[in-house]
Amino acid sequence: MFKVKDLKFRYPKSDVCAVNGVDFEITDGEIFGFLGPSGAGKTTTQRLLIKLLKGYEGEVLYQGKPLTEYGDDFYQDIGVSFEMPISFSKLTALENLEFFKRLYKNTVDVEPLLKRVGLWEDRHKKAGEYSKGMKIRLNFVRALINKPKILFLDEPTNGIDPVNAQIMKDMIREFRDEGGTVFLTSHIMSDVDELCDRVAFIVNGKLQEEDTPRNLKLKYGKRIVKVEYRENGDLVTKEFSMEAIKEPEFHELLRTKDIETIHSGETTLQDIFIKVTGVALHG
Amino acid sequence: MDRLGILVAGELDRLKKYNLFTALTVVLLMWLAIAWLLDAEELKLFVPLILLMDSTMMTIVLVGATLFYEKKEHTLNSILVSPVREAEYLISKIIVGIINSLITLVALWAMVYFLKDISFNFLLVAGAIIVIAAFHTLIGIWFSYYAKNFSSLLVNFMIYVLVLAMPSVLAVLDIIGPKAARFLIVLPPEASLILLQAGFQEEKLWKIIFSFVYLVALSLAIYKFVVRPKLNEYAMRETGV
Ligand SMILES: Nc1ncnc2c1ncn2[C@@H]1O[C@H](COP(=O)(O)OP(=O)(O)O)[C@@H](O)[C@H]1O
Ligand SMILES: [Mg+2]
Repeated sequence: MFKVKDLKFRYPKSDVCAVNGVDFEITDGEIFGFLGPSGAGKTTTQRLLIKLLKGYEGEVLYQGKPLTEYGDDFYQDIGVSFEMPISFSKLTALENLEFFKRLYKNTVDVEPLLKRVGLWEDRHKKAGEYSKGMKIRLNFVRALINKPKILFLDEPTNGIDPVNAQIMKDMIREFRDEGGTVFLTSHIMSDVDELCDRVAFIVNGKLQEEDTPRNLKLKYGKRIVKVEYRENGDLVTKEFSMEAIKEPEFHELLRTKDIETIHSGETTLQDIFIKVTGVALHG
Repeated sequence: MDRLGILVAGELDRLKKYNLFTALTVVLLMWLAIAWLLDAEELKLFVPLILLMDSTMMTIVLVGATLFYEKKEHTLNSILVSPVREAEYLISKIIVGIINSLITLVALWAMVYFLKDISFNFLLVAGAIIVIAAFHTLIGIWFSYYAKNFSSLLVNFMIYVLVLAMPSVLAVLDIIGPKAARFLIVLPPEASLILLQAGFQEEKLWKIIFSFVYLVALSLAIYKFVVRPKLNEYAMRETGV
């Protein structure tokens, strides 16, 4: 659906490239995710793909044709949910949606969508009186209003409570299952892990790894046992691979030390992110 | 309804919801009150000035306010990722500016015609208002692109008035001689005033035609070289609002 080659972009008045030579492909019917810390260039990449930012280097093809050759009808196919709340504050949620709906050829009935995201009761409330989480859910409905073929979701669950985040994730999966394609960005590991068919790590405008979450775990992950114990008053942590727990060192430890905790675990996508990029997702 | 109609209807609806119509109505009532207090001779002088202020200052402030809200609430981004063409979006702003100035014209015309028994060349003045309001909507958009916030838009507007309208005032006060005053027509506020006054008194035909063509040409140039190409950059710019 989208093919991106050596994409570079520098904001005017900035001397570093916010996106610095990225290559990737979004195939039909998948959820493709960008995982990276704040400032990595996720939003910028999204703005480039939806033609909000112009003047990039490199190549972006949408359905085989350069993005620059598309006119405004390109947007009939596209649904965008921005990371910041977007709505006319003095209009009700429903009035907001009705206005945007009139701009498209194909549209959906908003009632089931609003009911699903829990905003139907508050549909006549002014958007300005919505909480941050409600505004973000309204953004999401706005993105779906034109029956898009591809959805762009920038930090979709950011600022939403866990219950509504789960509903939204279900809706994103259903959109994919009905043939839609999704490009999403997030700095939240679990979003990407649960949702994405493929994920790319982005740091400082560059991609580092790109694969399915499962393959990444197989490639970088290890199953381990972590032991915490006291030695001369200090807390000591030791990790053993599943093979190593058969060795005498592990048994010796259990027998001789004051063990406080023993945990077995798998490497999370978060650990893998840090291992691959050398950068923490938060902070 | 085609998309331009939808955009204009949306703009008008929001002017109401954001209480900007209320502000416009207050200003209109003020204009009417001023007109009520003047006698026939004074009105011939002041109605063009009132119309000038309304179609320049009010137009700039109004379009500036809507852009300010759209930037602050990021709704401009949402419009830009819809099938709306940038030209349609900008033209809808111009149409709304014209509509509001024409409302003032009609109200003022009705007031002086029925209550003061004064008539003027309505069609000529309406034509002038359309061009002046279109031009100043574009000026308002241009100023907004370079303003950090709404108050700096107002400052830009003050500078515009001081620099471009001051010479005309100086000419009226005879500080600028009549020879030099003839060239003041190249200042948009002066060209605007000439067009409006032409509906109330005799004016040389070449001045009317020149002012008209001049404002239309300037509008097209500002649209083509500034307002249209810089819209996207304006939408994407990080602002403190
Ligand atoms: N409008 C802008 N003007 C200048 N620099 C920007 C702008 N928006 C973002 N940046 C910079 O570009 C880089 C990437 O930002 P962004 O794409 O927003 O990252 P992310 O979405 O991954 O948090 C950051 O260094 C940010 O400061
Ligand atoms: Mg971002």
